[in-house]
Amino acid sequence: MSAIAAILLVLATAMLAAGLAYRLALWLAAPVPLSIPTMPAPLTRGGAAMRVGREMLLFHSLFRADKPLWAASMAFHLGLALVLLRHLRYVVAVPPAWLVAIQPVGRLAGWMMMAGLLFLLARRLLVPRVRMVTRTGDVAVLVLLLAIGTSGLVTTYLLHTDILAVKAFLTSIWRAAPEGLPPDPTFLLHLLLAILLLAIVPFSKLLHAPGLVFSPTRNQPDGSRRYRRPARWARTLAGGGQ
Amino acid sequence: MDAAYQVDGKTVAHDEEGYLTDIGQWNEAVAGIIAEAEGLPMTAERWEVVNFLREYYQEYQIAPAVRVLTKAIGKKLGPEKASNKYLYELFPYGPAKQACKIAGLPKPTGCV
Amino acid sequence: MSAFEPPPLADEVELAAPPALVPGAMAHSRPYVAAPAHNQALGFPGERVPDWERRAVEKLGELLERSRALRVFLDSCVKCGACADKCHFFIGTGDPNNMPVARQDLLRALYRRHFTVAGRMLGRHVGARDMDEALLQEWYTYFHQCTQCRRCSVFCPFGIDTAEISMAAREIMDAIGLGQKYSNEIIGKVHKIGNNLGLPEPALANTLEGLEEDVLEQSGAAVKFPLDVHGADVLLVTPSADFFAEPHVDGLIGYAKVFHQAGISWTLSSHASEAANFALFIGSYEQMHKIAQRIRQAAIDLGVKRIVFGECGHAWRVAYAFLNTLAGPWDFLDPAYPVPQHIVEVTHELIRRGGIVLDRDTNAGKTVTFHDSCNVARASRMGDAPGGQFVLPREVIKAAVPSFVDMHPDTTHDRTFCCGGGGGLLTDDLLELRIKGARPRMQALKEVVEQQGVTHMAAICAICKTQFAKVLPAYGFPMEMVVSLHQLVGQAIRLG
Ligand code: SF4
Ligand code: SF4
Repeated sequence: MSAIAAILLVLATAMLAAGLAYRLALWLAAPVPLSIPTMPAPLTRGGAAMRVGREMLLFHSLFRADKPLWAASMAFHLGLALVLLRHLRYVVAVPPAWLVAIQPVGRLAGWMMMAGLLFLLARRLLVPRVRMVTRTGDVAVLVLLLAIGTSGLVTTYLLHTDILAVKAFLTSIWRAAPEGLPPDPTFLLHLLLAILLLAIVPFSKLLHAPGLVFSPTRNQPDGSRRYRRPARWARTLAGGGQ
Repeated sequence: MDAAYQVDGKTVAHDEEGYLTDIGQWNEAVAGIIAEAEGLPMTAERWEVVNFLREYYQEYQIAPAVRVLTKAIGKKLGPEKASNKYLYELFPYGPAKQACKIAGLPKPTGCV
Repeated sequence: MSAFEPPPLADEVELAAPPALVPGAMAHSRPYVAAPAHNQALGFPGERVPDWERRAVEKLGELLERSRALRVFLDSCVKCGACADKCHFFIGTGDPNNMPVARQDLLRALYRRHFTVAGRMLGRHVGARDMDEALLQEWYTYFHQCTQCRRCSVFCPFGIDTAEISMAAREIMDAIGLGQKYSNEIIGKVHKIGNNLGLPEPALANTLEGLEEDVLEQSGAAVKFPLDVHGADVLLVTPSADFFAEPHVDGLIGYAKVFHQAGISWTLSSHASEAANFALFIGSYEQMHKIAQRIRQAAIDLGVKRIVFGECGHAWRVAYAFLNTLAGPWDFLDPAYPVPQHIVEVTHELIRRGGIVLDRDTNAGKTVTFHDSCNVARASRMGDAPGGQFVLPREVIKAAVPSFVDMHPDTTHDRTFCCGGGGGLLTDDLLELRIKGARPRMQALKEVVEQQGVTHMAAICAICKTQFAKVLPAYGFPMEMVVSLHQLVGQAIRLG
């Protein structure tokens, strides 16, 4: 049992890493042959990095687009980030003081994340124009996240799991015989679904996270009158200027 | 897609928008048929415009700019008619396009 | 007069309310297909190639290797719908395929099917589709209902730019022999004759002479419209509509007066007698490069020191953002000036340092608003600081007219609505679409007309001007309401 879980976890992590590496390699191999930032754009690389940062941390464009969607999305992503942070205590041997301190915040974040997800799901099913562009896969990802969240909250509040056993398991997965997992079904479900989520990141729309960083309309500075950027494939064209 | 005008028992081919495919096939009867298809009877004033377009085209292989046209019409029909507005009254879909069509000339392309 | 009568504009401006969905509302709107000769002139197959399904996939693969943007955009969409109600064509038609995300999905379907694991395994559950006649027809219909205005990319949390997607789709369609008549015929004319109109050199010279006479008659000043003058300081590259149509030509007169009064020697070129570069619309880098080379050649041949662009939106995008890469380096030009410059930058600077003087009273009675052209607003800049493309034109207008009013902030600056005619759609066969797509702009205009007495709307794009001249009457406004920005300058400038 523990061995299977350990293998799956390692496998999923490997898929995540290899899949992401492959995807990023494809992205990086393709040039950006022209200057296409959405204007107005910052004039410097530093400024463009700030712009990407603002998108990443504040969802700035989404804020301009749709306030309720922004709020729900923020609740979900921020909640998820805090929950993940809280999960650190299951893998570090001696949790530092700050990690202990944020535990209550992390619990609250769990609820915040669920509320955000529920709004996103409801919106997807109820707002006609969003429903129109929804495919099974889009709902499936939300349901998966909701299931992970629900099983997590259940283990936190209702059917407590032996945390120390979980920790022992997680810190021992690299060994030939990992230590025993607590046999609670809710917890096992939680773990299994999380493993599934890890594995599908590089093959699904969850690629939007790295996409944000590599999006040329956001990460390019505005400097086209100062710099040329001929792509290698374009240099063979006839005529001057290449 | 392409079709033709029927003029005196002859067929005169046009493109999908009604412009003649071969300007050599144009004659006054053809102009009358095209104008009819556009819902515009050929008055003396319309003939002035159409004739000027053809003359200009003969010389320059292009329809005249709207300003050149208004000036020329002003000279022929009186200064009060030298306006874009007047030309639009004659050719409601736009003098450049509708009058060219009737004159058998190719359609002006681009951002016009 | 027009093929389509739009329902009247709402009394209340409701820019935020998304329309009700009307599936298939615009399924009938397709531009004419290019004739074989139009395609072949650009090196595309004349007619549909026999194994076009396979070729389309192959071409998509090539494009993916050439553009990171395309890859990232196709991979990153989360179907959040933030872009959905931002497109003027969706707002104006209610057709769900005009939601930017749905438009992207038409290309993404093929991408998913052939280039992703999920698409190969799960098919339509993740939106994957095979290339077939039905999909191709949807492409032709709806990728020609995108003006590539980039409004969606402003609001997308990942900056996904549907313009890039529709350019790629059109490039694929050209590669299998399904071109659009309007764009391809025009690009052919640029190569053959030098401009979109097909205006040959003698006709151009004749037209310019006529303008010199007109200006002399009206203002008493001997303002020149030089053509192919070797050794002039400035090469002016302007859309050929400026030679031909109203109100464009009044803008050209304005530029000429500015150069005249400031004592700047300038010339037009019969070789590069066109600023527009329609290759942008069909996504073809090769064609865009070829068209841009004309400008480099003209600058070298005429021995000029500076290049200035006239009022044209997408041309300024290609000029500002691409020209340096496509046709640079410009080390043979005067390094004291950016290359290229926009005519508004030149005029703005002259006003600032007193090189020309404008007299607002000559435009008495006009209350003017300004339409930010999509390509200028979201794909380029003017001046030294980000956002200069919003500031400079407004400052020039304010210096030329007694009263200036801005439209609703949701419809200006980088949130401006496209005129509805850009991106290669300014053709009579798409008139219904153009009228419907202009609706958000017309709604915002109505508000300032009724509440603040606006009489004119200034534009700095040949497409916008022609489009508005056509659609304003459909919404009950006079055609003459749209003016060239430099028409106002030309009216106000003190000569002599
Ligand atoms: S680029 Fe403009 S026209 Fe095209 S989908 Fe986006 S908003 Fe609509
Ligand atoms: S806003 Fe961006 S991520 Fe959201 S649906 Fe539109 S294109 Fe996709």
